[in-house]
Amino acid sequence: MNILKLFTLALALLGSPLFIVIAALALLSFYSVEIDISVVIIEMSRLADTPLLLALPLFIFAGTMLSESETPKRLLRLSRTLLGWLPGGLAVVSLLVCAVFTAFTGASGVTIFALGGLLLPALLKDNYSEKFSLGLITSSGSLGLLFPPSLPLILYGVIAEVRIDHLFLAGILPGVFMLSLLIAYSMYKSPRKPKQQEQVNMREILGCLKETAWELPLPFIVLGGIYGGFLVAGEAAAITALYVLIVEVFLYRDISLKQLPGIMVKSMMLFGGILVILAASMAATNFLVDQEVPMRLFEFIRQYISSKYTFLLLLNIFLLIVGSMLDIFSALVLVVPLIVPIARGYDVNLIHLGIIFLTNLQIGYCTPPVGLNLFLASYRFDRPVIQLYGATMPFLGLLMITLVIITYFPLLSLFLVRFLG
Amino acid sequence: MNYQQVIRQILTFEKRLINGLLCLMLLAMITLACLQIGMRTFFSGGILWADPMLRYLVLWSGMLGAVVATREKKHIGIDVLGYLAPEQIKVWIVLVIDLFSSLVAAVLTWAAVTFVRNEFLFGGPSLLSVPSWIWNLIFPVAFALMAIHFLLAIAADIKAIRALLLKNRHSPFTGVISMPGSRKTGSGA
Repeated sequence: MNILKLFTLALALLGSPLFIVIAALALLSFYSVEIDISVVIIEMSRLADTPLLLALPLFIFAGTMLSESETPKRLLRLSRTLLGWLPGGLAVVSLLVCAVFTAFTGASGVTIFALGGLLLPALLKDNYSEKFSLGLITSSGSLGLLFPPSLPLILYGVIAEVRIDHLFLAGILPGVFMLSLLIAYSMYKSPRKPKQQEQVNMREILGCLKETAWELPLPFIVLGGIYGGFLVAGEAAAITALYVLIVEVFLYRDISLKQLPGIMVKSMMLFGGILVILAASMAATNFLVDQEVPMRLFEFIRQYISSKYTFLLLLNIFLLIVGSMLDIFSALVLVVPLIVPIARGYDVNLIHLGIIFLTNLQIGYCTPPVGLNLFLASYRFDRPVIQLYGATMPFLGLLMITLVIITYFPLLSLFLVRFLG
Repeated sequence: MNYQQVIRQILTFEKRLINGLLCLMLLAMITLACLQIGMRTFFSGGILWADPMLRYLVLWSGMLGAVVATREKKHIGIDVLGYLAPEQIKVWIVLVIDLFSSLVAAVLTWAAVTFVRNEFLFGGPSLLSVPSWIWNLIFPVAFALMAIHFLLAIAADIKAIRALLLKNRHSPFTGVISMPGSRKTGSGA
């Protein structure tokens, strides 16, 4: 039995679909303790009792629509006009646009593909060094995961069973802090003698605002709806999806009615990929919880570690490794159910834990040797991965500093929740 | 030759059917959820069955979406070693993975059939007085479709391996691993 499990894990490393690997492990585990394997499906069918799940397909659809449309271009033009005059203006613009875009599209690959191609040539033209530009884009490919309505935040809420509106509040300050640190660094590293910036005139700003007039209300609809208590996450997702559908298809006409079914199927495919992993891991982790593995793990760790802070440090290291190996969705569904009971034992706030999780996994995206962003950027910009390792180093350092502060100052995450929640 | 055409037609039909269903379900989710908000805001009421219906729509669209992901080979995976391996080894890795995946998907189908049968025998009516086993039918159906798509992938893998072996016929590599079918194709070419 154990040999079969090892074989399965080996296939995972060779690129077998993760849901197949997890389902196989669950089937083998239940079979080995002589429980009927239809239990695996019973666990999966519990997904139909999760009302929060509705937010996922609808936000994925909205995100896919936004990335297939001309929105990235318009967003970029607007922010350049508004902020381009700052020292390091373009770098600041890149960071902000990437953060907003990732928050809405969630899957970080989209940011690098949709925005990277526009940002890299622009940065190089403004005399930023190639190393800096590549590092900036690669590491900001997953920036913004802490801001609502980011999909991984929702998924964490679904699995850990904590309130999503609280998570959305908790992510804001850590996210702003991370962004400010990166912005400060980018301003410091901006080319010494910037080109004479053309004067921004009012007319241009108005033109850009008019151009994006239909897209600008989007964050306010989502955030206002959720924070204002009018909408739960799933409903906010439905409104966003409807709004984006109408705006992109009928107002901007970026996406023709003919293209629409293709985009719908594509977004449902992305959702399906996540859902089956979630389904399979519900069965697998339920087996582990049944066998009291998290509790035994907790007992074991407690013999060596008594302090909550040492535990958090270990957790950080563990999650960084996981984050560089797995994509964020699989990492969440597999690890969260196992860590939550242990974290409870150490008296870690589950909202704070969520922010720690996401920060780690976000950093894992650009951690050598196998962080996903590095490969995506290598593919997109046709540069060797090794070059990207070097380029992202300084950004990685800054992100690590943020991670330490987020981990050891829980108040940064919890302040807004206590104040407004 | 004829049966290949039939299979191709069935596959095209399946593709269109699933794509169409997915679009409809997505539109239904958006409409139903927005309708629910509207009813609540303006009439402080709502449709009783809307919320459970939405949850099943999420499940069904997700499972069918996973069938599409299988068809398009877009499942989430790690794929580090596969990325680094040379082409000649990669084709074999892919074959092993597809064999393994179709086996697991087939076992999942079997487990799902058992589950639905138990629901049929012991489960009660649920949403809209439709029995619960019907709402759960998506599990055996989707896993069976995934198993079929993994099997089709195996057929394609074998074809790819044959082509590769044929290309390298004169290299010593082919001499070591001989495929049962490769000679036949070789003489025909």
